[in-house]
Amino acid sequence: MLVKSVLLFGLLLTISKPLSAQETATPQGLEYCTVCHGSQLKGNSNIGAPRLTQLSPWYVNRQLKNFRDGIRGNHPEDKTGGEMMVMVSQLSEQEIENIVEWIASTESSKPTPSITANPHDGEKLFQTCAACHGADAHGNKALGAPNLNGLNDWYILTQLNHFRSGIRGSEEDDTYGQQMKAASAVITSDQDAADLAAYITQLK
Amino acid sequence: MKNISRRQFLTYVGAVGGSSALLKTSLAMGLVNEDPYSGPVKVTPATGKKKPTVLILGSGIAGLSTAFELEKAGYECTILEASFRAGGRNLTVRNGDKIDEMGNPQICQFDKQENLFFNCGPARIPGHHRRLLHYCKALNVPLQVKANSSKMAYFQDDQFLGGKPKRIIEYHTDARGLMSELLWKSADSSTFDQMLGKEDVEKLMSFSKAFGDLTENGKYIGSERAGSTTDRMLEFPTPHAPLELKAMLDSRFWYGGLLGAELYDWCEPLMEPLGGMDAVVKGFLRNLKKQPTLNAQVKKIYNRDNGVEVTYEKGGKFHTVQADYCFNNIPAYFMAGIENNFTTKYQTALNSIKRGHLFKIAYQMKERFWEKDGIYGGISYSADPISQIWYPSHDINAQKGVLLGAYTWDPKISAMFEALSPAERLKVGAISGEKIHPGYSKNIENGISIPWGRMNHQMGCGMRMSEEDFEKYFHFLQKPEGRHFMIGDQISHHSGWQEGALASSEQALQQLNKLLSASVDQGSKIHVS
Repeated sequence: MLVKSVLLFGLLLTISKPLSAQETATPQGLEYCTVCHGSQLKGNSNIGAPRLTQLSPWYVNRQLKNFRDGIRGNHPEDKTGGEMMVMVSQLSEQEIENIVEWIASTESSKPTPSITANPHDGEKLFQTCAACHGADAHGNKALGAPNLNGLNDWYILTQLNHFRSGIRGSEEDDTYGQQMKAASAVITSDQDAADLAAYITQLK
Repeated sequence: MKNISRRQFLTYVGAVGGSSALLKTSLAMGLVNEDPYSGPVKVTPATGKKKPTVLILGSGIAGLSTAFELEKAGYECTILEASFRAGGRNLTVRNGDKIDEMGNPQICQFDKQENLFFNCGPARIPGHHRRLLHYCKALNVPLQVKANSSKMAYFQDDQFLGGKPKRIIEYHTDARGLMSELLWKSADSSTFDQMLGKEDVEKLMSFSKAFGDLTENGKYIGSERAGSTTDRMLEFPTPHAPLELKAMLDSRFWYGGLLGAELYDWCEPLMEPLGGMDAVVKGFLRNLKKQPTLNAQVKKIYNRDNGVEVTYEKGGKFHTVQADYCFNNIPAYFMAGIENNFTTKYQTALNSIKRGHLFKIAYQMKERFWEKDGIYGGISYSADPISQIWYPSHDINAQKGVLLGAYTWDPKISAMFEALSPAERLKVGAISGEKIHPGYSKNIENGISIPWGRMNHQMGCGMRMSEEDFEKYFHFLQKPEGRHFMIGDQISHHSGWQEGALASSEQALQQLNKLLSASVDQGSKIHVS
C-alpha cells in the first residue's frame, strides 16, 4: 500500500561521514578549482579541464608557475590555457605549494577512453617519447618529463596538437615546453597524434 | 454537416447561443487555439505520515519552482546550492554585490540607491511567457512595462554613413519607403499580372504607396513619419534626406537590430519586475518552507533502488544525503566532473549540452544623457562588439541611471571580452558607446561586466545542443533516469529564458506524476516511497 511504502523510505538522512582516503576535502578558497576540474579533480572534458590526480607534484608546481607568469596559456588560440592563467595569476609560492599538496592527496577514478584511435599504431611513435617519459610513461623528474599515466586521452591529444602547432612551447622561458615542441615533430598527422594519445592512455 | 459550411454552422450557433457558445464550439472544432497553459502542474499529493523527500540540486529558477510545487503537494524538499547565493543566472546586482567571475571577482560599485541596479541575466518578460507571469502574480512580484525598443534610439556602424549614428525611426521609415518603391515599380511593370487581377494590382500599388509613404508616381523622397529637420510645432515639417538604397543594403542593421522588436520573444510590450529581476527569486524564497542550503557543492549523485543519494561538500565537510527523488538543476556539462552511476547513454546525453557564452556590460552613468536626446528605454544597436546599448525605462528623469553597455551572444565576440580584464572590457565598451553618444565616456562613473561563460558555478548561459544531438537526446533527457530528473532551461527549446526553465520543471513534474501513477497502478513500492 502507498501509506506503508511511504514509511519504508521516507527519511531524508544526513550522515556526516568520516573522511575516507578517497575523499580529500577541498581547501578553503580552492572550491573554484573543483568547479571545472570536478570532484576530487577527476577532470571534465566538457569544460576542457583535465584530471589532475596523479600528475607529478613537481610538474604541477612548474605548470602553475608557468600559467601565473604567462609562460603557458598566453597564446591567443589556447582558450582553456588563457582561462587557467586568469585563475592562478595572483597565487603566491606558498599557495602554489598548498595546491600541489592538495592535488597529490586526491584520489579519483582513472579516466575512460574517449577518443577513437589505434593504440597499436601509437606504440611505435611512443618509442621517441619513452626516452624521456619512460617506457610506462611514468615520467622522469631529472629530465623534466612528467608522468602521463592517468591523464585523459582527449587532454593528451589536445596538448600534443598544441605542441605541434606551437600553441604551447613557443614561449622563450618555457624550456621544457620548447623541448616538447621539438619532440612533437615526430608526429606528422592528426591520426598519429590520436593513436599516440590512445597508446599512452592504456599504459599501466 | 451536409449542405452547410462550417462557417455557416458557427454563425447559426453564435446566433442561438451567444458568443460563449460560439467560443466553446470553435474550440471543439479546432478553429481557435486553446491557450495551452492552464497553470502549473498539480503534483500528485503526498499521502501517509512520512513526507516523501526530494533533493533539488541548484536554486536557479527551475530548481526553485520545482521545490515550490512539490512543497505545495506535501513533499519535503532540500535545495543544495553551490554558490553563496540563490537564483542561478537570475542575478540582479546593486551596490556591494559580488560578481563571482572565475579569476576576476568584481564588487559592484553602483551608488547605494534603489533605482541603480542591473539585471545580469534575464531582464525582460514578454506577455506570452505565461508560466513566469503566473508565478509573478502568484508570488506577488509587481511588474512594470519595460520598453524593449525605442524608435528614437540609434543604429551605428563604422561602415555606414561614415559611422554617423542613425535614428532607428529614420532607418525604419527609409527602409520601408525604399522597399515600397521597389514593390510599386514591380507592380507597375506587370510583374504580378499572372498572380493578380488588374484591380488587385492597383490595390497593391496603393498599398505600397501607403506603406512606404510614396509620392503619387511611386517615388520615395523621404517621409515626415521619421520626423523633421525643422521644428515641427512651428514650421512645416521637412523630412530628412532619405537613405540611398545601396547604403541601406550595405549596412549591417537590416539583418540584426532592424528586427529586434519583431521577434516573438521581444514583442512589445515586455515587462520587468519593479526593482530588479531577482524579485522573482525573492518571491520564490519568501514562499518556500525550507530555504536553500548555500555553499553546498555536489560531488556525487547515485541512483539507488529506492531513491537518490547525493554527497555534497560544505565548508570542507562532506555530507551524504538520501531522498526519494532528485531534481537536478546543475548545468549538464558539469555532470562529467561529478561522480555518478548514470548509464553511459545518459552521461553522453548530458555531455551533448554545450556552454553558451553570453556577455554583458553595465555602466553607472552620472547623468541620464540619453533622455535629453529623446530616448526613454529601448535599445541602440551597434555593429561593434558591444552589439547593443539598453536604456532603462524605469526611474525616468532620475539623476543617474544604469545603462547596459554591451550585450552579445556571439561566441567569438564573447571570447574576446572574456579574455580581457574587467577594466579593459569597460574601456572597449566606452569607445563604442562614444560613437553613438558623444560624451558617453565622461558620464561613466563605474561599471561591471558579466561573462556568463566564466561565472562561477554557471560557466555558461544559453546552452546549446547540435541539431543531431538534439534529435538524439532531448526527449531522452526529459525523462528521468531512475529517480533522477534533469531540469533547467537546458532541458527546453528556450535556453537563456526563465520561461524555458519553468517549462522544464513543469515537464519533469509531469514525468513524476506519471511515475507515481504507474507505481500506484501496479501496486509497486519501487517508485512510490
